[in-house]
Amino acid sequence: MVRQKAILLHLQDDVATALTDLKAGDQVRVSLGDRVVEVTLRQDIDFGHKFALRDIAKGENVLKYGMPIGQALEDIRAGEWVHVHNCRSRCWGYYNEKYGIQA
Amino acid sequence: MASKPNKREENVDILGYLRPDGRLGIRNHVAIIYSTHCSMIVAQKLHSLFPEGTQVFGYPGGCALREGPFHKITELGKHSSYAAALVVGLGCEGTDAFMVAEEIAKSGKPVEAIKINAEGGDLKTIEKGSRILVKLLQHASLAERAKMTPADLIVGQECGGSDATSGLASNPITGVAADLLIEAGGTYMHSEIVELLGCGEILAARAVNPEVGRQIKEMIAEAERSCFEAGRFSWGYGNILGGLTSIEEKSYGCLTKSGSKPLQGILTKYGLPPGKGYYIQEGEPGSGTFHGDPEGVNQFAACGAHLCLFTTGCGSTTGGLIPVIKIIANPKRRQLIEDNADFDATPVILGEKTIQQMGEELYHEILAVAAGKRTKSEIYRHYEA
Repeated sequence: MVRQKAILLHLQDDVATALTDLKAGDQVRVSLGDRVVEVTLRQDIDFGHKFALRDIAKGENVLKYGMPIGQALEDIRAGEWVHVHNCRSRCWGYYNEKYGIQA
Repeated sequence: MASKPNKREENVDILGYLRPDGRLGIRNHVAIIYSTHCSMIVAQKLHSLFPEGTQVFGYPGGCALREGPFHKITELGKHSSYAAALVVGLGCEGTDAFMVAEEIAKSGKPVEAIKINAEGGDLKTIEKGSRILVKLLQHASLAERAKMTPADLIVGQECGGSDATSGLASNPITGVAADLLIEAGGTYMHSEIVELLGCGEILAARAVNPEVGRQIKEMIAEAERSCFEAGRFSWGYGNILGGLTSIEEKSYGCLTKSGSKPLQGILTKYGLPPGKGYYIQEGEPGSGTFHGDPEGVNQFAACGAHLCLFTTGCGSTTGGLIPVIKIIANPKRRQLIEDNADFDATPVILGEKTIQQMGEELYHEILAVAAGKRTKSEIYRHYEA
């Protein structure tokens, strides 16, 4: 097996997770079963952080583990970093609103 | 690790221990049980005289008889790992030593009880207790052996010291191994409902019937409510720095340890699960408190678990009364992996192996431990109780 730089956890996922610190411009190839996705990173992605595998429209669910981890707060392009600045969940949103915590 | 994962070519022979009540064990110890805090030291001294072949645990409180803990120590006493038991009491406690012994003796195994006050103090009790233990240890050595299959196994799962690698590697491969065990007819359980916020609907959809679905949804909703009310989640700034975007994302990473099989039920009492397959154990039944890792391991033991999988990221020394297979995927913890872990899951993080491959290897490790391979927790006698 060729050493994977990022991991795709579910066939339906919109994001992959970096297994090492990755740099903007890196070509990253992830695969799971028959699905193979190749993206060019638009930003640095640190270990444990996620990047989009496809263009995600504002308001769409973002899937990881095949399940929605939040909704896109803005349009996200393939290869972009996906995190609290552009993706927020129902739970986190509630918490945010109630306690005034800035994500 | 050069295993050839193919579950159809299973040739691990598990030679277990057949107990009088029909249970099959993968280990063969004598239990030394203190029935109150006051008899704990004497029980521990007896254990130190016979460290090979005995384990010690007991009633965590003082004089008052409480149903939950009483049930826990008697169910532990009936565990398939124990060929026999010695109960050590003081004499005036509510959890009377003879009462504890009587309950455990329903399993058909030899159980004896001694009381420190009746014997005349520490030394006399240690003397008499030692003679009893010699007899019980000899009895254990004659335990009947019987062949076991993966379908006979009950496996628990606990996590502690989680980090970013837990949700990416350790938990998902544990889920793969759990699925393989259940496909082979075995039983698997985890607890820690508070880590599953946002997973109520998902688990309800996996429930075998609407009642179990309603139960798990309610339990998770209750955990969510109390977290919201307290303004406190299993969630912090460190999680965000590490790359987690939401509580759901963290919960899903935790949920992967459950595999994908139907949820058979919620275990709200100690004792054997009512059937085979995937169960969620409530935690310390009735206590409503968060438990430490070894207590978690022993709760599974009190539900009949033969061994426990333990996923960790930062590392852990956890053991318990049953063998603990520690799984770690953080490549920065090399020394810890070498010294304390049992299953090196770093190849997933290093991008060298898939979750599926490592899950199959972990399943083989479960069978190897069931067949007698000693885990690090056992070698170090991390018999926390």
